[in-house]
Amino acid sequence: MIFSQIFETINTGLVVLDKEMTVRHWNRWMALHSEISSDEITGKNLFEFFPELDRPHFLRNCRSVLTFGHFCFFSQKLHQYLFPMLPAGSLAEEFQFMQQSCTMGPLRNDHGEIENLYLSVQDVSEVVSYQKKLVHMNQIDHLTGVYNRNFMETQLQKEIERCQRFKHDLSLLMIDIDLFKNINDTYGHQCGDFVLKKITQRITDKIRKTDFLIRYGGDEFCCILTETPTNSAFKVAEQLRQVICSEPFVFKETSFETTISLGVASLNENDVDVESLLRKADTALYKAKQNGRNTVANTTR
Amino acid sequence: MLSSVLIVDDSPVARMIMKKCLPANHGLTVYEAGDGKQGVKQYLKQCPDLTFLDLTMPVMDGFQALTEIKKNNPKAIVIVVTADVQEKVLQRVAALGALHTVKKPPSKATILDALQQATAALEIQESS
Amino acid sequence: MSDIVPELFTDEEKDILQEVMNIAFGQASADLAEVIDIFVILSVPEIHVLKGHQLPGYLCEELQSSGTVNIIEQGFLGKFSGQALLIFPTGAEKELLTLFNQDQELTTLDIDIDILEQETLVEVGNILIGACIGKIAELLSDVVTYDPPRLIAKDYCLEDCQQSPVPAESFAISIRTVFRFDQQNVEGYLFLITNQHSIDWLKKALSTFLESFE
Repeated sequence: MIFSQIFETINTGLVVLDKEMTVRHWNRWMALHSEISSDEITGKNLFEFFPELDRPHFLRNCRSVLTFGHFCFFSQKLHQYLFPMLPAGSLAEEFQFMQQSCTMGPLRNDHGEIENLYLSVQDVSEVVSYQKKLVHMNQIDHLTGVYNRNFMETQLQKEIERCQRFKHDLSLLMIDIDLFKNINDTYGHQCGDFVLKKITQRITDKIRKTDFLIRYGGDEFCCILTETPTNSAFKVAEQLRQVICSEPFVFKETSFETTISLGVASLNENDVDVESLLRKADTALYKAKQNGRNTVANTTR
Repeated sequence: MLSSVLIVDDSPVARMIMKKCLPANHGLTVYEAGDGKQGVKQYLKQCPDLTFLDLTMPVMDGFQALTEIKKNNPKAIVIVVTADVQEKVLQRVAALGALHTVKKPPSKATILDALQQATAALEIQESS
Repeated sequence: MSDIVPELFTDEEKDILQEVMNIAFGQASADLAEVIDIFVILSVPEIHVLKGHQLPGYLCEELQSSGTVNIIEQGFLGKFSGQALLIFPTGAEKELLTLFNQDQELTTLDIDIDILEQETLVEVGNILIGACIGKIAELLSDVVTYDPPRLIAKDYCLEDCQQSPVPAESFAISIRTVFRFDQQNVEGYLFLITNQHSIDWLKKALSTFLESFE
């Protein structure tokens, strides 16, 4: 009596399945969030209602619980959810489906033999939302909204490893605003901030979703171009140079022109780590500056 | 009639358990060996009617020992005793000529059944 | 079995423990093959018993050539209680992901490959630990429950390991086994970290196990 009340009122989804994956129990939480009542689903095969669960990974975990009597954990990180359900309240905008952390365990009969298994479903959407915000805060430059240097160091490392694993191309652009100090000195820091924001906007509009724009330092930016060989990287760099110099910036009715210089570096067999690739891009940028600014250069041309 | 058995297992406890599972007053002569190599040596020396053979052993494993024994005497009656009863293992020992497989840990019932199977096999050999 | 803690078990108890582990790992191989649909061989486990404070030095010596490792930890609770530590050399997670994702089910998900490998390691660890401990418990007539597994160390360099990951006064039953999946060898080490109370129970359970054949 007490246990059945807990079963029905607990703020966790609880499901009992037999070895044939027939639903034996389905608590009120499950009914509420799945919009499938206990009467509807009890006695039926789980996969009739949730065909997406009928896959090797889920079945393997069921067999393992039934055989070894241990527990299986379906982490939100890997699965996001097992049962597609709508997220509650304000989180509906953030997630398409409720984020779940699920556990599966054995249920034994009086002889200690495993006869059924249970699944518990916990709504972790709120925690995931906080986690996302924290990660975001740690990776994003507050002024411009593009990635920060902290993010770049780990991401570039990952991209380099990926390229080596799959033999893909990778290029890096080092971008510096020409004579940025003059803008600050002439029009004030507010205007300088405005230019930084506008420039990142124009660049973001020109690059692909798979590329990463990073604010590397004060007026220095960096762009990771995934799966891009040197030739294409040069074309992108040239487009970025043009999109900045082609149209003047207007701040509080003052119009002025700004240009950027870009250094291009691509991954090859000789430079395999973050440092050497960055050094190459830096050298290229220095050369672009030497060539008279508002230019694109790499270390060889 | 079965009159002698050889138990090949590297674990002294496993051999002790096997002996405990033999029927009371069995009247069998029991020989023992602690690895595959010793097992083959004992087999050649004693020519037991039945050999219980563990699979995972140092020096020479059960698969090799079974091969050696069968090479010397294709009629040798060998019953494999193993905890790992996955299909591929069962197929492999059967292909090498094992009469039967007993799952570890053994019990009086599974050993009795094994002895009966061995007796039947022996009778067929003797009548032919 | 070595004599690092000679007073803990008698020779007979050590022999029974070794045989129980042999049977548990053999049965676990067979059942694992069915559960994960992959041909598995768990090699004959090598058993050593040591004190918690000896663990870092022991690990360092045993895994010398392997460089860095990943350590998965999982608590288990029954009459026999403790923590299981499953240790794989760095790189094993890539092989495990290939093996356990032959249908490409997981790689179609939009997840970072690092997280995928990490989570696979934890999931596979959960199954392997559950299989081994479950079988040991079953043989000794115990029922255990488990905490969620955690990856407690990633790319961990054992040589830097000054401090033991377990209490100095605890006991570690080291079970060294090689998990062989299909054609690939993935070497793993399983350690059961336990306490005096559980050791006392284990000694009784071992003798009951042997008596059950009378």
